[in-house]
Amino acid sequence: MPKLNKFKIHIQTGSEGIEEPARFCFNSHVLPLEELSGGTKPGETLEGGYDVNSVAHSMTLVGPEKGTWSLQKIKVDFECENTPPYSVEYPAVELDETTELNIWKDPPLPTFDV
Amino acid sequence: MNIITKFKNMFSSKDVGVEEPAQNNVADDITNITSEPVEENNPFSEPETVVRQVIRVPEVADDIFPPVDENKVLIKAQPSATSDQCLFMLNRPLFSGHSWWFPDFESAEGSLLAESLFSLEDVASVLVNEATITITRKDKNICDWKSLGSEVGTVLRERLEEGEELISQKIISEMPSQDEIQEGIQKAIDEEVNPGVAGHGGLITLEHIKGNTITIKMGGGCQGCSSADLTLKQGVHSSFRKFVPEVGAIFDETDHAAGLNPYF
Repeated sequence: MPKLNKFKIHIQTGSEGIEEPARFCFNSHVLPLEELSGGTKPGETLEGGYDVNSVAHSMTLVGPEKGTWSLQKIKVDFECENTPPYSVEYPAVELDETTELNIWKDPPLPTFDV
Repeated sequence: MNIITKFKNMFSSKDVGVEEPAQNNVADDITNITSEPVEENNPFSEPETVVRQVIRVPEVADDIFPPVDENKVLIKAQPSATSDQCLFMLNRPLFSGHSWWFPDFESAEGSLLAESLFSLEDVASVLVNEATITITRKDKNICDWKSLGSEVGTVLRERLEEGEELISQKIISEMPSQDEIQEGIQKAIDEEVNPGVAGHGGLITLEHIKGNTITIKMGGGCQGCSSADLTLKQGVHSSFRKFVPEVGAIFDETDHAAGLNPYF
């Protein structure tokens, strides 16, 4: 399991936004996103991140405490130790008080042309 | 009484039931701090007790091959983390809708693609799955795939450019139906695999099947277990192939990091 130094997340909200702060769950610990810009109202894009500096087992974007959060597009930029930075993009999904979205992906294995 | 106090008392003459005053015990102080209610301003909260359903959606995948002349064979090699295997991804199908595992040279008879690959010195087994080939090498001490990868690429290009049959007609014509394969795999799980892992609290379930390609999920004690890969490769694979010799690729879709308390 790699050590995640930090990550940045870009969340484009669809038709249903949220009023409460966006939170993520890292290794079963719920944390608020930091260095926020933008918003989570319908049509807005939120950018945030966190300097984690810890070995990653799991990471999710936590659904709102109340209501539904419709996410149009999610992009996560990862910076792990000893691997080049990489990004993962997820398609539209809806979150609510019972759900969270997996946003963790191990660094991709290197490839070469043959 | 906390665990640290109990542990200390095991090596002291004091009764286990007697607690030391917390203010005289540094270890107790640390424990007490961590067990205090989480402050509102503290971003490091206690693990969330509400169990939410984790949604897993496939990521938006970029095309790994640039748009080029369709006739040009493009191949990317991706060695596994342990370097014992290498996945070769092609820009065209090799065995549409199915997969096939060639464990040795003899099994490759009649399949030109596999026969050619086994002619390379270090190839131990070949797994063909749709537009990919996974090669396992004989020499487990060599980690660098550049040399063998280049040879594999040359063989694949030659065979594809010849346009001959890649997989033996016998394999294709004798392929059982998906229902027959599913029935056989379920029988293997019920009669051999699950009774075998039950002693460790494990549970294997058939997640889905496409052609003769199987995807399983490991639950119970198998989920998050550090020996799950060994169980899969040495137990589940051989059992499945014993019950259904025509089974091709076998994938484990278990999220071994999921749950509140996975074991790593």
